[in-house]
Amino acid sequence: MRVSFTARLALLAITLALISSLASVFLIWNGIHNDAIAALRRDTVEQAQDLVSVYRSGGFPALSEAIDQARDPEDDTLILAVLDRHGRRVMGVGPRFAAIQPLASTPFSIAIPGHSAPWTGREAGFAIHRVGRYWLMTGRLLDDWEQEQRTIERVVGLSILLAIVTGIAAGLVVTRFVGRRLNRIADVVEAVGEGDFANRVETVAGGQDAFDRLAVRLNAMLDRIERLVGELRAVTDSLAHDLRSPLARLRARAEQASLAEDDAAREAALSDLLAETDTMMRMLTTLLEIGRSAAMGRDRFVAVEPGAIMAELAELYAPAIEEARMTLAVDLAPGLAPMALHRELLSQALANLIDNALRHAAAGGALTLAVSRSAGAGRFTVADRGLGIEPADREEAVRRFGRLDRARSLPGAGLGLSLVDAVARLHGGRLELADNAPGLSATIAIPG
Amino acid sequence: MTRKILVVEDDAATAAYLAKGLAEAGYGVETCGNGRDGLFLASEGVFDLIVADRMLPGLDGLAMLAAIRAAGISAPALILSALGTVDDRIDGLRAGADDYLCKPFAFGELSARVEALMRRADRPAGDGKQTSLVVGDLEIDLLARTVARQGRQVALGAREYNILEYLARHAGQVVTRTMMLEKIWNYHFDPGSNVVDVHIGRLRRKLEDGFDSPILHTVRGAGYRLAPAA
Repeated sequence: MRVSFTARLALLAITLALISSLASVFLIWNGIHNDAIAALRRDTVEQAQDLVSVYRSGGFPALSEAIDQARDPEDDTLILAVLDRHGRRVMGVGPRFAAIQPLASTPFSIAIPGHSAPWTGREAGFAIHRVGRYWLMTGRLLDDWEQEQRTIERVVGLSILLAIVTGIAAGLVVTRFVGRRLNRIADVVEAVGEGDFANRVETVAGGQDAFDRLAVRLNAMLDRIERLVGELRAVTDSLAHDLRSPLARLRARAEQASLAEDDAAREAALSDLLAETDTMMRMLTTLLEIGRSAAMGRDRFVAVEPGAIMAELAELYAPAIEEARMTLAVDLAPGLAPMALHRELLSQALANLIDNALRHAAAGGALTLAVSRSAGAGRFTVADRGLGIEPADREEAVRRFGRLDRARSLPGAGLGLSLVDAVARLHGGRLELADNAPGLSATIAIPG
Repeated sequence: MTRKILVVEDDAATAAYLAKGLAEAGYGVETCGNGRDGLFLASEGVFDLIVADRMLPGLDGLAMLAAIRAAGISAPALILSALGTVDDRIDGLRAGADDYLCKPFAFGELSARVEALMRRADRPAGDGKQTSLVVGDLEIDLLARTVARQGRQVALGAREYNILEYLARHAGQVVTRTMMLEKIWNYHFDPGSNVVDVHIGRLRRKLEDGFDSPILHTVRGAGYRLAPAA
């Protein structure tokens, strides 16, 4: 059975209130009980001793006189009796027959004193002492105490009622308080779910209590979601935008081919069309590669000598670099320890840098490929003597689809450096663009 | 005897395109649309080559290939896939494919690879003991790693020799740029510029300068072919 939060809280509060009030009532009850018994014992013992010493000094006449003086006609709870050896009362007040058998000297005891009214079923505290052939019984019914017990029972009843009332009230108040704070958080979540990303939960206690901590965490999460959604939107926007230009070129080529007058022209247009398609495919693969490398694990990494990666690329590119009328300088620091690297992706990243140099710094003198180690990081550098990239433009150059104005007329999709950056980050490192005075020096720095 | 190729491809248009192209190239082609049928057909053991899509209904291409291999069929397999990143290619090759090609592809690229796989399957087991390759008037000494044309020594760099040896082993066939990048340089990405063409250009100058007939031919839209002039 499901019980509402409010009901459960109320039950808990009721139980707690009951436990605390009943415990205190019991303690009070116990305390009063003990006090009352102690007082009765004291009075009884004292009176018995007085009467016994009266008997010793003056015999039965003196005892009889003392009993007459001590009795009070109004007081029907007092026992002051002289009993014969069968327990029959021969003098004083008290039950006609004492219910205590056999009679023996008792300093103090609690029991039912007699079977005739008004003694039936009522407990009394009494003392019994021997006086000559008779027994002296002194004591008092426990009526006072019983009255107090009644009072305490009433108090218990009241406190149970009070506990129920305060429990329900506490349950309502706490649920109301908790509910209000939680509802405020739920409202924000709902608003964000409906698309209003600017909503945030207010903190009340200055970030001190659990609700505020929840709010702070939630706000941080919402900040991150908002940022990610923003980035996603920017990427899809730019993707849609940047795919337009290659698609436009494709369309133009297809149109040229279909309008071509002679076979040679059609052939040429068709082969351009194929080349454009390949460019676009490459662009999509690169995009995928960038996305993939942001989420890839390091299980593909193998221990590779850093210099070897650069040397292989230098060998592959050497003829192309020469063809571009640039001089290739390879500068590999000797004796570098193997590092955990993704050989293919790092090679592709470096190939992108070399391609960039070939495209943007053609005939620009020396192209340097260097591998070195400093500050705990392996550094793979491709440096050219071209125009370089202004410090202000560097961020734009690395952005996905980011193309600097002067590069717009050249072929390319603006993905090269952004792949390099993604690969550097996959390795836990970064891409550093620096001025080669003149030219660009691009370094992938990988710690490890 | 006609070579038989099994094409396992669920996209009807691609399957038809493959069947038509391969039939025109002189192969006997059978197609099917899912991994289970592919496994069933391949188990007959009558095919010389299996071309399979990686993502297939029923049983995916790599799992089908594993099952075919487990059944003792050793026909070479070429996996086609839209998954084109470097890691996808390497995974495919590690999973037992003999070659891996990303969609979309140029038909020239596919037929060059199909031909190379067929040729490799034909090669006799004792091929490792071969000491020389001869293509027309070109002779390659595999032990001394020297090359002579019409009896005249041609001095080649180490990489140029590797390229020539690869071309000579596929003499008469088309070899594409990506095949060379994969087999000679062991790169599975596309460098995006004409690096391979420049290497070939240099090799060609050394092989053809001073001789009267071409021997290293460019096949437009596909790649290169080492063969005696027709």
